[in-house]
Amino acid sequence: MSRRFVSSVGTALVAAVVSFPALAGQARKAPAKTATWTVPHTPWGDPDLQGVWNDATSTPLSRPGGLSDKQVLTDEEAAEFQRELAYNLTRDRRDGGAQADVNRAYNEHWMDARRLTITKDHRTSLIVDPPDGRIPPLVPLSPERQQARAARADAAARFAAGLPDNHEDLSLPVRCIIRTDSPPYLPTIYNNDFQIFQSPGYVAIAPEMIHSARIIPVDGRPHIGSTLRQWLGDSRGRWDGNTLVVETSNFRTDQGVIFQDADPATFRITERFTRVDAQTIHYEFTVEDPHTWTRPWTAMIPWTRIDPAEQMYEYACHEDNYDIVHLLHGARIREKNGETVPKRIPER
Amino acid sequence: MRTRLSFVAGGIGALLALAATPVVAHHAFNAEFDANRPVKFRGTVTKMEWVNPHAWIHIAVKKPDGTMEDWMIEAGTPNTLFRRGLTKQSLQPGMEVIVDGYQSKDGALRANGRDLTLPNGQTLFLGSSGTGAPYDTPPKKKG
Amino acid sequence: MRSRIRSVLIPVGSAAAVALLWLVVTATAGQAPTAGRFPSYRAPRLAGHSDLNGVWQALVTANWNIQDHDAQPGVHPELMGAYGAGPAGQSVVEGGEIPYQPWALAKKKENFEKRMMVDVTDDKKWHDLGDPELKCYMPGVPRATYMPFPFQIVQGSGDYILIAYEFTTTTRIIRMNWKGEAPADSWMGWSRGRWDGDTLVVDVTDLREQTWFDRAGDFHSDALHVVERYTPISPYHLMYEATIEDPKVFTRPWKISFPLYRRMEDHIQLLEFKCVPFTEELLYGRLRRQPGQASQ
Repeated sequence: MSRRFVSSVGTALVAAVVSFPALAGQARKAPAKTATWTVPHTPWGDPDLQGVWNDATSTPLSRPGGLSDKQVLTDEEAAEFQRELAYNLTRDRRDGGAQADVNRAYNEHWMDARRLTITKDHRTSLIVDPPDGRIPPLVPLSPERQQARAARADAAARFAAGLPDNHEDLSLPVRCIIRTDSPPYLPTIYNNDFQIFQSPGYVAIAPEMIHSARIIPVDGRPHIGSTLRQWLGDSRGRWDGNTLVVETSNFRTDQGVIFQDADPATFRITERFTRVDAQTIHYEFTVEDPHTWTRPWTAMIPWTRIDPAEQMYEYACHEDNYDIVHLLHGARIREKNGETVPKRIPER
Repeated sequence: MRTRLSFVAGGIGALLALAATPVVAHHAFNAEFDANRPVKFRGTVTKMEWVNPHAWIHIAVKKPDGTMEDWMIEAGTPNTLFRRGLTKQSLQPGMEVIVDGYQSKDGALRANGRDLTLPNGQTLFLGSSGTGAPYDTPPKKKG
Repeated sequence: MRSRIRSVLIPVGSAAAVALLWLVVTATAGQAPTAGRFPSYRAPRLAGHSDLNGVWQALVTANWNIQDHDAQPGVHPELMGAYGAGPAGQSVVEGGEIPYQPWALAKKKENFEKRMMVDVTDDKKWHDLGDPELKCYMPGVPRATYMPFPFQIVQGSGDYILIAYEFTTTTRIIRMNWKGEAPADSWMGWSRGRWDGDTLVVDVTDLREQTWFDRAGDFHSDALHVVERYTPISPYHLMYEATIEDPKVFTRPWKISFPLYRRMEDHIQLLEFKCVPFTEELLYGRLRRQPGQASQ
């Protein structure tokens, strides 16, 4: 699944085989206890999550091969793990040939430096359940979804060749419709920032890309009617002790709107935000879809406070999205010059 | 005993393969910019667009025959630079920059700014905070 | 006989009715709402300041034209009929007219004539044509306030206030008592807030010059400076005022004002108006591959 997903977005990949020293035992590192710290509350009594937070990390979502039983690394192993990941992710590398070089796009100055560091708890994956730290096996797709996926893969192949037919061949992020603002929130190469605002009865989460906010009522009101469909769904929150629990439904049914192209009719997501210390929120999400995965799975990503030293800035996207014109106009010129899209070999 | 660790990497691939929205896959760079048409030139900044999703540096380049060409150089999100303390004052028209990149496949005077430096060799937008540990050398392998 | 009695009773009844009415009027004098007048009001407090939380919306037709405007057929009436027509409205500009410099009126006229034209095929002329609203660009300040869509103020106990607008899911962050400058221009500007008694005052600078004030082509330069005031005037109204200053385009500062109404529907919330997909054919349709062109 992940390999197909990767090819479907047409990225050039440099497969890295990294050797680790023999990893002994399964020493599990217990989280450090800060018995004296208590969550501050807003004047109206809700746990205080307000601030600007960053979720960048190099810890992969799924546990890398060869580490299936090892959830947490020792300090020495963690340093090595971080170094290996950073070497693979850094944009300052110029090796690997011209294709790899051009695909790295820019240098490290444009990237979020925090994405070269692993999580402080030294986990080997962001996924905490299932215990092997991997996305669960996939359920076979229905014929309709298979066809839809094949059509999208064709569009992605056209895009990857630089020859998209029209703007619909481009992905939602390229079109500046949604980017990292659709739940669940996952780290990316830059602008991994979220600002949380609170008021009586609400928690608002504003991701940097693309300038939207989820304004989440915590007063127990029902969801909007089931025929109302939104790109970011409809979220409802409640406090479970010091944890904000958010359920989101009413997603649109367009392809690619739902995380990993799961089935919008049966996809469910629950997110949990817990402030664990002055500088940290633990963001945990559980997703399930019996039409996509054989079981639910959960990941936890720590968020680090960055304000006031660092701020979130406006991320306008559609307004100056010259890239779309370059991609489409460029495609028309190259077609005139006789270029064609290489035939896509369907995945088995 | 060696434990082989293999995972798909390469900058874009690792996290993005498993990410919700493939933000950088948005730009199949080697599909739009030609690996076989590297460019390296020195030019004078005429305009800097501090915009998303990509900043654009407009430079005037003097060709060997003396005529001028206007190039547009694509860069990353300016928001990262803002957080490093840079502002629109940090790159003014008239400054000289050296562009190391790859030209657009359709032949337009447009390039991917793979590496941007000043004539003195300093990386453009280095900023006071730097980039942290240098990760561009392979880590030492342990036996 | 009966008629005479009736004819006697009626005037007496009328007098009594009139007398009663007079008493009622006198007793309720000052309680009947009068347009433009609000009795003195102090909003509840939140963390020491007026609580401005809520979903709000303007009812003026300023997005069509912030000055006096007659009803209009709108664009493509041969297709749109009454659907596309615009209502009449009175100016929200204090004094009625925008004090343009003489040269600027020609530019406004040109904007209006080209408001439906779009051509993004040349990067250098990307923003030259068309109303930014048409293209689903963020509306800037103050236009976002009087778009015909609700917006929500999320005000808490921190140093920031969020204003989220339904139109293209625009957000802006008001930084309270902020010293730092904007690193660059932005579509919704750089907003620094402070309290002036019960009024939230927001100083907005570094706005992208490409935003318009309305569909009539009213415009500004990169020197635009807006100072907004949000004042609670009843449990259900804020008074919104914005002072606009731009020495490159106007002869002096000028001001707009109108009430904002609290949306009172049960379980009101902002819904999504992500309009980018509605504009893609308009913007990029001419770049489609045509049938017959080789591709795969």
